[in-house]
Amino acid sequence: MPVSFFEWLANSPWANAMNGPEWAFPVVQSLHFMGFALSIGTIAMVDLRLLGIAMRRQTAAELAHDLNRWTWIGIAVMSITGPLMFSADAVRYHYNPSFQFKMICLMLALLFHVTLHRRAVRSGASPLLAKLAGGVSLALWTAVVAGGRMIAFV
Amino acid sequence: MSVIPILEWIESTDLSTAIREGALLYPIIGGFHLLAIALFGGMVVATDLRLLGWAMQRRAVSDIVEQTRGWKRAGFVLVVASGLLLAGAEPLKLYRSPSFWVKMALFALVGVHALVFRGTVYGNPQRLDKGLTVEAKLAAVLSLLLWAGLIVTGRLIAFDA
Repeated sequence: MPVSFFEWLANSPWANAMNGPEWAFPVVQSLHFMGFALSIGTIAMVDLRLLGIAMRRQTAAELAHDLNRWTWIGIAVMSITGPLMFSADAVRYHYNPSFQFKMICLMLALLFHVTLHRRAVRSGASPLLAKLAGGVSLALWTAVVAGGRMIAFV
Repeated sequence: MSVIPILEWIESTDLSTAIREGALLYPIIGGFHLLAIALFGGMVVATDLRLLGWAMQRRAVSDIVEQTRGWKRAGFVLVVASGLLLAGAEPLKLYRSPSFWVKMALFALVGVHALVFRGTVYGNPQRLDKGLTVEAKLAAVLSLLLWAGLIVTGRLIAFDA
């Protein structure tokens, strides 16, 4: 995308709001943390179930079904607060390698979540495939969080 | 006696200096702290949502409380351990940060919360399988508020002068 888009974004009303009062950024960031604790936390519970090391009194399918709504509420919170933070300094984040890494991992994690992960959860896949899906999901979401944390340090 | 010399000594140790001045150590421990919050904070929230009757209603309350207990305890240790390492890297800054002290007060309240509700909720979840009590819902709401408060104050520390 052309840089002018990010310049326009950085001068948008919501970017100005984010850069206005001192508390705006940390408060939105806190909401972002709550969103990912909710979404990644619930996904991780299913992953640990797929790995066979937690929540073994119910199947992965039951657990995923019961937590699915909350996972997506968390993802919704993240996908509002994330772009808000991004727009506060859009041009710089656009060039930030950690941010680019995070976005690639996020796309992969989401894609995996709605395709192979979902299939492994629902089909009662073989133990090996279930473990593989749980492990890959945990690794992808870990990479998303780690990439996010590094944005402020590169 | 002042606590400042002690904080200065902590800040002068090799470990503190390495975390503070190394390019990678601080964000790595910070990332670990965040991951632990995601995993175990997620379990805390999931348990609270069950206690409120908003999630996993098909499962008995005791199933959820008992299955998450060990993970939450382990997670608590990991979050606190990584938090201590981060705090030990800049104790003088934290000593002057109002948000840090609010966070520590909330942290103390987490302990009070656990003690207060152990008998009626977390330590004895079978009695909630017959129906959710007011205590259970109160415990869940207070837990969510404390959890949110810890996140907000934790984040605000970085923005205190």
